Amino acid sequence: MSETGGTPVTTDESTLVARLSDRFPAASLAVRNLSRQRLRAGLAMLGIVIGVFAVVTLGMLGTALQTAALSELGGLGNQVIITPGDGGENLDQREIQTIRQAAAGGGTVIPLKSGGASVTGPDGQSFGQLYGTTRPGSLFSVEGVPDSLRQGAVIGDDLAAELGARVGSTVEIETNRYRVLAVIDSEGTFSPIRPGSAVVLPPGEFVDDDYTQVVVQADSADDARAIAAGVRERLNGREERVSVLSLTSVLSRITEFFALLNGFLLAIAGISLIVAGVSIFNVMLMTVSERRGEIGVLRAVGIHRDEVLRTLLVETTLLGVGGGALGALLGTTVVVGVALGTRLPLAAVLVPTNGVVAVGALGFGILIALVGGLYPAYRAAWEPPVESLRG
Amino acid sequence: MSDDAAAEAVPRVERATRPVPPLRLDGVTKQYAGGGGTVTALDDVEFTVERGEVTAIMGPSGSGKSTMLNMLGLLDDPTTGRVELLGSPVAGLSASERTDVRRKRVGFVFQEFHLIPTLSAVENVRLPTRFLETDSTDRAVDLLDRVGLGDRLGHTPDELSGGQKQRVAIARSLINEPDVLLADEPTGNLDRDTGETVLGEIATIAEGGVGVVAVTHDALVGEYADRTVRLVDGVLHE
Ligand SMILES: Nc1ncnc2c1ncn2[C@@H]1O[C@H](COP(=O)(O)OP(=O)(O)OP(=O)(O)O)[C@@H](O)[C@H]1O
Ligand SMILES: [Mg+2]
Repeated sequence: MSETGGTPVTTDESTLVARLSDRFPAASLAVRNLSRQRLRAGLAMLGIVIGVFAVVTLGMLGTALQTAALSELGGLGNQVIITPGDGGENLDQREIQTIRQAAAGGGTVIPLKSGGASVTGPDGQSFGQLYGTTRPGSLFSVEGVPDSLRQGAVIGDDLAAELGARVGSTVEIETNRYRVLAVIDSEGTFSPIRPGSAVVLPPGEFVDDDYTQVVVQADSADDARAIAAGVRERLNGREERVSVLSLTSVLSRITEFFALLNGFLLAIAGISLIVAGVSIFNVMLMTVSERRGEIGVLRAVGIHRDEVLRTLLVETTLLGVGGGALGALLGTTVVVGVALGTRLPLAAVLVPTNGVVAVGALGFGILIALVGGLYPAYRAAWEPPVESLRG
Repeated sequence: MSDDAAAEAVPRVERATRPVPPLRLDGVTKQYAGGGGTVTALDDVEFTVERGEVTAIMGPSGSGKSTMLNMLGLLDDPTTGRVELLGSPVAGLSASERTDVRRKRVGFVFQEFHLIPTLSAVENVRLPTRFLETDSTDRAVDLLDRVGLGDRLGHTPDELSGGQKQRVAIARSLINEPDVLLADEPTGNLDRDTGETVLGEIATIAEGGVGVVAVTHDALVGEYADRTVRLVDGVLHE
């Protein structure tokens, strides 16, 4: 060997490594110790990968399902439907006025006339649910339905198909002819009014002057709840003049159910992370008992207990960070893949809550690794050096 | 009255005016309770480490030599008796303070070298200073040079021979410029020539004011020692 052959500190790269290891003495020792037992470190990390993966996939899918379901059912929860109470047929103007007062500032009041009639279209005849309102847009929040209706008709898609009617066709009801202004896509809307077979006409087309029901489209679920309570209080004080139907409570049940389901799935996934923590604990116990002598040397030559502890904790934390990051990445990829391959909309996956799920799972994985390594590291660092040195 | 005159007239006074010894064992007894009864590894040992002096401890296997070094290095506590650091007892020091004493004042050469397998020679030598801010690389390279390993700086322990490992361990014990060097068989794995080089280095270090205590079976060490003591069944004989 030549004079300079054994000098390693020649290239820029190795001086950089040397400087880094000077800067982070615990981390550089930890990295070397981990790479000494690659397979074992890999297996310990695999536990964390699987645990974090499980939490991320189940958590994200749960959130996505909940988001998708609520966005489809969402309109339903904000509707309050008021129909005449015991024995009544119609709602009179005073009652509608009272409902407007109760709903003031919290939603749009849509008085409806309704009835059934035979409808004739270009290709045939069928039974339609007639609704009379000037504001079909608020009732069916679907693209293409006009906000206000003065003449003509808006019909449901199922009915349109049976009649062979399209936008621009003419339909006939009891000798009156109406131009079809829009067709309601019943897939995209949830409403207590059956949109598929609906025929929406201006209220003036009905013979009867009184309205048969009032739909209040509230601005939020809380508003809907408040309006329903307000209407009950004002109108049903003495006798049951109206019956008030609000699906808010049904919707909040659905939300609760999803929360419970998500919690349950996360708990199962969490258990797998805890198992990973146990395996980290085990691996760190093995590692420190193998390195007992070395740790004794560190202590004997004047490395403090907390410095030894730090080195060992960096080691276990690195397992958590590596495994957690890999698990979170794999989990996110799988969930996005599921969204792309099924009807689950990608937008329901990419919600802020899922960011919290991913970061939270990663953090939990790191924490579990840290906790798993704490006791073995503490025990090794606190052992009297003479005893460690005896091996 | 000059110090010299006092020294000649009253030896006791001369001892009192000398600088305090870095380490002293005062009536130290160490017993181990084991399955086969109590073993007395050290029996009422009186021993002082003097600055600038090389002391060789000789004695048969199991006579308590390593135990005695552990006492001197604050690695272990005596069963009875006391260990003094710069004149004051160490019994009251916390674990952290003892660690600091080892880090700053004591150099260890262990019987089995105890190098860290993942670290290169230079890094092993720098180990005691690893968590300090100072950059000890130059000193580590210089020390390795002095023990004849200037061309093995980047090698890990498994790439070194037994004697080379021993020399790395000696270089490591000197990295913190210790007051006291405690060496367990420092020449145990060295041939005569290398042993002489290493002992020459140790003697040079002692001349710089370091108190050296070397456990040995090697008569060569005796030649370099200022004083040789014998340990038999835990009892120290001057
Ligand atoms: N931790 C311990 N527990 C029980 N007995 C011990 C312990 N450490 C040392 N001994 C005993 O103390 C005695 C002295 O041991 P020590 O290691 O000091 O011997 P030594 O002089 O260094 O021997 P060698 O030359 O073989 O290294 C031995 O009898 C040994 O069995
Ligand atoms: Mg020994």
